[in-house]
Parts: sequence; structure tokens; C-alpha cells
Amino acid sequence: LDFIPLHAPVDLFVCMGMAGGAFGGNRGLRPIPPEKGIFPLDHLHECDAEKKEYLGCLKSSSNKSEQCRHLSKKYLQCRMAKNLMAKQDMSELGFSGVKELDSAGDKNKESLEH
Amino acid sequence: MLYYLTAVVFGMVGLTYAAVPLYRTFCQATGYGGTVQRKETVEEKIARHSESGTVTEREIVVQFTADVADGMQWKFTPTQREVRVKPGESVLAFYTAENKISAPITGVSTYNVTPMKAGVYFNKIQCFCYEEQRLLPGEQIDVPVFFYIDPEFETDPRMDGINNLILTYTFFKVSEENTTATSSSVPVQETS
Repeated sequence: LDFIPLHAPVDLFVCMGMAGGAFGGNRGLRPIPPEKGIFPLDHLHECDAEKKEYLGCLKSSSNKSEQCRHLSKKYLQCRMAKNLMAKQDMSELGFSGVKELDSAGDKNKESLEH
Repeated sequence: MLYYLTAVVFGMVGLTYAAVPLYRTFCQATGYGGTVQRKETVEEKIARHSESGTVTEREIVVQFTADVADGMQWKFTPTQREVRVKPGESVLAFYTAENKISAPITGVSTYNVTPMKAGVYFNKIQCFCYEEQRLLPGEQIDVPVFFYIDPEFETDPRMDGINNLILTYTFFKVSEENTTATSSSVPVQETS
């Protein structure tokens, strides 16, 4: 396959098109279904409070995601509770080291991941 | 001679049709052009790194941009401009979508990651993409994206100097419903 180098620019453009968007979108291509799942829309705004809390935390921590993970966990748990997300163990989603704020307000974070 | 030429024509046409799935396989296998790869599932990746106690140091800034296709009358913007993350962290982010007209609109979205060679390490866990989403007239909603950057990003020399990723979502219109309700005095926009 020694002609591959010649095809490289063509391949690049085709792959960009396949990746979804370089040349005006998915015309004619069936979109690849997501790997895990899709978030249904929260039309009834059932998890808005948790969402606002998380976004507020991001703002106050200069958008550092690490500091707000306990709130993103809370948001996803809300979604699961309202059937807006398939229920699954939070550790499977990468939250194995994250604990929520307890009643005393201390953030207790085990360093499993960090 | 004629048969030979005819066979060549059919062969070429056949190759053209075969090109679509072949390119898709090629793009996914190599991650070329920013195509996101999927060999190991994200959960498997998360579990593997969790067990091996992978520690990551490098902070990456993920910026968010939003696009709508021509004729798609949604206002669509990222809710936060960027997040600062470490590889191996599962991250939540939001986009805000609003239907600006007086008819329900159904849309579908796709996403892409740049720089393209970093797309290999970007794993979407869940999002609002690839499935039709319908907004009522005037409805505004925040839609979440949940993703994970593979810790192997840190050890790949090709990723040296890449500390910014841009995640772009684009919404395309699937359909717009005609409302014949007479109470609304705003004319429904017809797509040309």
C-alpha cells in the first residue's frame, strides 16, 4: 500500500466529514449512535437546582472541574432519580473517590484517583 | 473490449459504494480527522485506570463552542465557556438551547473535538447528541454533556504542547411543525 501518502489529504477530508461537521454536516451519513447513552432533555427542569449548584461552583472555582465533582455527581444522581438517566453505580462513571458534602459541610475526598 | 469496459465501470461504482463503510472503519481505527475511536468502552477505561491508581498531573482547558446549521432557528450556546480538567476525570458540562420561533422544532446534534489528533483520547460518556430533540416554541433548556479524557493522553508524546481542546456541538434541524393555532400573530417561518 505504498500509495497511501498520496491519499492522505483526501483521507483527512473524508474523515473530517465523517467526524461530523467539516463540510456542512451529516448529509447522507447516518450518525453514529453514542457509545453509552443519550441524556433525554430535562423539559420539566427537575434537576435545575443541582445543575445551578454545579454551574455556580464552576464559576467560583475558575472553571476547575476537580473542585466541583461532588456536585456533578449530585446532578447525575438527580437525573437517575427522575428517570432522566439510566441508573448505574457512580464508581462506574469515575466517581469512586468522590464523596458528597456531609452535614457538617466538610468535603471528604479520598485520594483514590488523584 | 466492451465487456471489459463495462466490468470496469461496474467495478468503479461498486468501489464508490464500498468507500463509505471502508472509510468509516479507517477513520475510527486511526482516529484520523478527529474521529473519536471506540475499541474499549469508556466504563472499561475508567475501571482500568481506577484499579491501577493512575495519577494525572496535567491540566487541560476544554473550551466549548456551539453551532447551528443554516435554517435552524435555535439559539444554541455553551453554558460555560470552558472547564479546566485533568485526564482521567469524568467531567460534566452544559449547553443552552432555546427555540426562538413560535413553532416546535426538532433538532439533532453532532460533535467534534479539535485538535483532531487529540480526538482519540476524548471519550463521551453521555450527551444529548445523535438523537432527535424537540423544543416547544420559546422553550429554553440546558443540556448536559458528560465526558472523560483518557489518562493516556498525558503519556503520548504527540500530545506534548496540547493543553487546549475545543469541543464543538452543532445542531441540525430535523423538522419544524406547522402550527395552525390562530392565537399567535407571529407568522411561522417556512424553510425555503
